[in-house]
Amino acid sequence: MNYPFWDIPFIGGGILIGLVAIIHTFVSQFAIGGGLFLVLTEIKAYKENNSGIIDYLKIHSRFFILVTLVFGALTGVGIWFTIGLVTPTATSALIHIFVWGWAIEWIFFFIEIAAAMIYYHTWDKINRKTHLTIGWIYFIAAWMSLFVINGILSFMLTPGAWIENRSFWSAFFNPTMLPSLIMRTAVSLALAGLYALLTSSNLKNEDLRKLMVKYSAKWLIVPFFILPLGGLWYVSVIPEMAFDIISGGAPAVTLFAVASIFFSILIFGFAYFLPYRHPERFPVALSALFLLMGLTVTAVSEWVREAIRKPYIIYDYMYSNNVLKVNEENVKQTGVLASAKWTIIDTKTETDTLKIGEQVFKLQCQSCHTVEGYNGVKILVKGWQEPFIDAQLQHLNQLKGFMPPFMGSEMERKALAKWLYELNRSY
Amino acid sequence: MESQVIIPDIDPIPVPAPLWLLKVLLLLTFTLHILAMNVAVGGGFIAAITEFLGKKRNSQNHLELSRSISKMLPPFTAFTITLGVAPLLFLQVLYGNFFYTSTILIAWPWLSIIVIFILAYYGYYLYSFRWEKLNGKRFAVVLISAILLAIIGLIYTQNIVLMLTPEKWKEIYFNNPHGTNLNISDPTVIPRYLHFMVAALAVAGLLVVMWGLKNIKSNEQLGKWGIRYGLLWFIIPTLVNIVVGLWFLISLPKNLLMLFMGENIYATIYFLIALVTMFASLIFMFIALNAVKPVMKIMFGKVFLLLTVVMMVLMRHELREAYLKPYIDWEKVQVEPQWGVITIFVLLLLGGLITVIWMLKKSFGKSSLVVHN
Ligand code: HEM
Repeated sequence: MNYPFWDIPFIGGGILIGLVAIIHTFVSQFAIGGGLFLVLTEIKAYKENNSGIIDYLKIHSRFFILVTLVFGALTGVGIWFTIGLVTPTATSALIHIFVWGWAIEWIFFFIEIAAAMIYYHTWDKINRKTHLTIGWIYFIAAWMSLFVINGILSFMLTPGAWIENRSFWSAFFNPTMLPSLIMRTAVSLALAGLYALLTSSNLKNEDLRKLMVKYSAKWLIVPFFILPLGGLWYVSVIPEMAFDIISGGAPAVTLFAVASIFFSILIFGFAYFLPYRHPERFPVALSALFLLMGLTVTAVSEWVREAIRKPYIIYDYMYSNNVLKVNEENVKQTGVLASAKWTIIDTKTETDTLKIGEQVFKLQCQSCHTVEGYNGVKILVKGWQEPFIDAQLQHLNQLKGFMPPFMGSEMERKALAKWLYELNRSY
Repeated sequence: MESQVIIPDIDPIPVPAPLWLLKVLLLLTFTLHILAMNVAVGGGFIAAITEFLGKKRNSQNHLELSRSISKMLPPFTAFTITLGVAPLLFLQVLYGNFFYTSTILIAWPWLSIIVIFILAYYGYYLYSFRWEKLNGKRFAVVLISAILLAIIGLIYTQNIVLMLTPEKWKEIYFNNPHGTNLNISDPTVIPRYLHFMVAALAVAGLLVVMWGLKNIKSNEQLGKWGIRYGLLWFIIPTLVNIVVGLWFLISLPKNLLMLFMGENIYATIYFLIALVTMFASLIFMFIALNAVKPVMKIMFGKVFLLLTVVMMVLMRHELREAYLKPYIDWEKVQVEPQWGVITIFVLLLLGGLITVIWMLKKSFGKSSLVVHN
């Protein structure tokens, strides 16, 4: 309410953030695991004295920089842009808490980019040991940037002791920080394997292709065991409400959580029976399908991670509609319209109830709902009578535990109820 | 109520560092960002025109140069982003309530930056990796990429100006809350933008000069040609930019223009120094144009140019502070420095710099600017 609301018809801002975040996660986690893949595979090539593998790595590393330096880096900036636009209040809070965390992440980002370019350009130009060292620098910097950003991301769900002590360290080393770091690291290794399947199944030389396809498939084994452990730990420390949402409170979220697990098992299972057991019969098309499944898992998991944070955007601190928890009573007393900066309605002179209702919707609900599109409120209240709507508004947080309570004056609530009711009537 | 300017409240969470430190880091990283951008954008345009001239005149020199530039464009584009992320961070802590608001008003053009950038970047990689194979299409590929990057700059200037003019927000937002606005009608936007872009050509021209200097030992004719060609790329745009700069200055609201005419002592001093250093660098480059031994003259010219850039950045900062003066009370901003984390940041920054320098030394011991075969 402090900032103007960016009105995106039909899809809403949440979807936009999700879209950018999913693409970015899919590429940037590959950027991390892929770094380890490059160095370990390079070591393997030297040990086995196999120049074919080196030739493969040259191709793979070109693919690697084209994907990560360009697409990974820019979609990362894209997330920043998007969250600043859709949830400026929360972004501002995060920036105020973590600006030095981000500044540190930026250092690693810088090293990472420099190392990746140098690594790619110095094949055969410098001695093997130095080349490997640069590869290691790349991987360590990339993983460190995950380490930092993961602390900030996990903070939003479990701010932990920060709520009381406002300490940077409590915020960073929050309860879900470690389990989600473990999960993300495991995913990044798995993604390294998936991307490598794509480039290796494309090799012309028969023997080399067999060797590399099988080897790439092996990269999926370790994460297969680590992921469930990290997942269990994670689920055991998330807030109760979040747990309820996953385990049935919101059927769509449960479905997605199950889908995430299902597709993960599918990927690992297939990886064992196809490229691992029969690397000679593994076409490029199939590796593309694998990647697609990987993208699906990333998408549903990120979506679940976002969904379980409701009704908060920063748990116990800021509601999904950008109202600070400490201001809740305040807004209830003063009214939404009077507390909001960016509204044309003057509460003292405005008499059109529907107009007021619409404004209240914009300020209170639109951060998660659209009118007729995604999570569209028109369908949700279809068939409800006005008094019923009004009654529900008084217990929004009980109607669906993942909604914030309605914050506004009685007049505003009634106006909102009327506007919602009219949505289905007037057309 | 109606005519009031709406300014979002500053964040209730205190700023975790002294303001001066954040401002210094903002200006420092912004300067580096702009220099990298100059090469990425200006270099792209120079490459395109060099391709064109090379083809028309069937000149080997032009070909050699454009091939060398093709190798530099992707890394400098990477630096432009990496060095752009840092000021983006500090800008948000310092001026977040202005920046977020103006960005929301032009949300879609702003987001389009990401897509445009990805396209342009891949264009540069194509130009670089496929230089030989592209042959006849090189001119088009590099030109399109450069134009795309230049468009990003225009979106940036619009936002950076819009965040300074809260008077305009209300009307824009209530007419169109969908984020499809622009700020192109502000009379300062075009001259301000052109001032950056013309400078980009000049700075990239200097890189060509350096390329000439590097090559002079292995191929004197090519080196000499490169130096001269690069110097012209520096001198002509800089002369043009004197006019553009004046245009920008007079496009400013009267009270802000007066800042540089004595009203604000810092702004005026920066302005005067900038005028002196700018002319000094022009004179040195002019002399270098026909000098037998141009190395030292170019050195001085470069140093003076760098000073000019720094002065320009400082002037720009004073201008921003003046624009926002009615709306910010720095005294009221709560500050609670996280010294522990700041210390770690500084140590890691040093470590990071050492690491990157070590890598560069190990891998490009001589120089990457020399023509490879
Ligand atoms: C090649 C593409 C880009 C070009 C041509 C470009 C150009 C510019 C220009 C001309 C300005 C000055 C605007 C003004 O004062 O009128 C600027 C400012 C800025 N740029 Fe870039 N930019 C590019 C990419 C980026 C990227 C990708 C980022 C961030 C990741 C970025 C971050 C910034 C920031 C934060 C500022 C404002 C700094 C301040 O106001 O103190 N730029 N850019």
